Amino acid sequence: MNKKQHPDLCVDIGKIRLKNPVMTASGTFGYASEYAQLVDLNRIGAIIVKGLSLVPAPGNPPPRTVETPCGMLNAIGLENVGLEAFITEKLPFLKTLSPPTLVNIYGQSTDEYAELASRLNDVEGIAGMEVNISCPNVKKGGIAFGADPKSAYHLVNAVRSRTSLPMIVKLSPNVTDVTAIARNVEEAGADALSLINTITGMAIDIDTRRPKLANITGGLSGPAIKPIALRMVWQTVQCVKIPVIGVGGIMNAKDALEFLIAGATAVQVGTANFVNPRATTDIIEGIEAFLVENKISRLADLIGTLEW
Amino acid sequence: MFQDKVQVLWNRKIGPLYYKIGLGCGRGIADADPGQFIMLRLSGRIVPFLRRPFSIHRLIRNEDRTEGIEVLYRVVGECTQKLALLRPGDFVDVMGPLGKGFRIPDGVRRVFIAAGGIGVAPLLFLAFSLRKKQIDPSGCRIFLGGKTKTDLLCGEDFRSLGMAIHPTTDDGSSGEMCFVTHPLEAAVRKEPPEIIYACGPPGMLKCVVGIAEKFKVPCQISIESRMACGIGACLGCAVKGKELTEKYLHVCMDGPVFDAAAVEL
Repeated sequence: MNKKQHPDLCVDIGKIRLKNPVMTASGTFGYASEYAQLVDLNRIGAIIVKGLSLVPAPGNPPPRTVETPCGMLNAIGLENVGLEAFITEKLPFLKTLSPPTLVNIYGQSTDEYAELASRLNDVEGIAGMEVNISCPNVKKGGIAFGADPKSAYHLVNAVRSRTSLPMIVKLSPNVTDVTAIARNVEEAGADALSLINTITGMAIDIDTRRPKLANITGGLSGPAIKPIALRMVWQTVQCVKIPVIGVGGIMNAKDALEFLIAGATAVQVGTANFVNPRATTDIIEGIEAFLVENKISRLADLIGTLEW
Repeated sequence: MFQDKVQVLWNRKIGPLYYKIGLGCGRGIADADPGQFIMLRLSGRIVPFLRRPFSIHRLIRNEDRTEGIEVLYRVVGECTQKLALLRPGDFVDVMGPLGKGFRIPDGVRRVFIAAGGIGVAPLLFLAFSLRKKQIDPSGCRIFLGGKTKTDLLCGEDFRSLGMAIHPTTDDGSSGEMCFVTHPLEAAVRKEPPEIIYACGPPGMLKCVVGIAEKFKVPCQISIESRMACGIGACLGCAVKGKELTEKYLHVCMDGPVFDAAAVEL
């Protein structure tokens, strides 16, 4: 490889070509404009925006977050502006950026998911969607659809029939066998999988003897969950043919490279954005430096090279 | 808004659990408003994991240049314990200035400020801004409350700005033995100010807002919340809005300074 030449970081997620494998995880990057002053947004591989519902959702009562060892619990409850405000107020800015915008969607019923998918289908400026069947913090929707293989199949199938946009399905770690769900979601027509969403957890204030979150339980994220995410990604890539996107506790390039070597086609950076707003671009630079150092000219040649 | 590693200029203990830390961050901070905050991270550490919000206590000015900010903090947890160990020359990672600060309406002359404990932190910056707007300090009064005399902070700073001070403590070790809201209410009743600014524990703020409502005085309060990002991405710092009951406001974007009429405490 020519020393001056940059390694090829391109990856394909279904029909979507990414210039590098680093995406922002839904719910940790707002609608990107929040970070405009802090990070060069155009260098990011893809932007996945905050989970969207048909109508605006108020979210859960506070307190909504608490720090835990090497991570945090959140129970935001998918507060979002709703489809219409997203299109008129948030999407125009996203359209000015070069990375593809992927919209994370959720609903309280199969019909809601399907309608959202169908209405997004014709909106200009959206490269694809990520279907959230794994949020642990809402009573209806989210994990209710992602907890068993059959309901996951039916939901993804219903969404698939209403959209031609590339569809990623985000899976939950709070299940007995993620591979059974992954296989069904693939069969139902998903173009890619992303995993893991947060792990259900809890924290208690010993002085008041009350939960630290108003929602009682929340989703654990951050470096504390990375080994679990990595194990589940590794298990999943062995049983599906569609691309798997690794997410969970990625803080730096080394973390991201572990997922790529395990077989993830791309990665999502989530909680790290809160700690280091430039986490995504730092990781892109670190992956590139690793490839140069190891004389690997294409990232694709590194993906799934785990030996065991 | 900037995010950078900045140098600790000083880190002085000013009371049993209170410190003032000077941070050299001239770039991007000069136009900060009083009441705005920073998100601070101890460089290179995984514990504490998330950044922590701190209000700006004052700008560090050298002639016409802003050379940094001072943060007044109380040691309450893991982050502030570690912060207290920092020495001049050490680095911390700072992001700011963030949020919406205090608004000073044009033409105000009579201003009351109520501070409870560490809640005084953003209010000294406010006092400097009142002076900068050439508001006569003789029309400004500070109601300074704390549990005990060591919790009464910055009295001298306000005094040197020419503002009258009403100190109170819960145990009577300094000033009047009562809540800070008692002399505040008495003074408001006697001659209402044009605006009340307050920062302190939730119970105190509730009481201040009640006084402001009773005497129909505009009131701005600075409130605290746990938050992860500080810039409106995580939506962790929700507070209930008063009018829009279906909607939450967010301390990091809509606050931390709110019109008392807008937020449900």
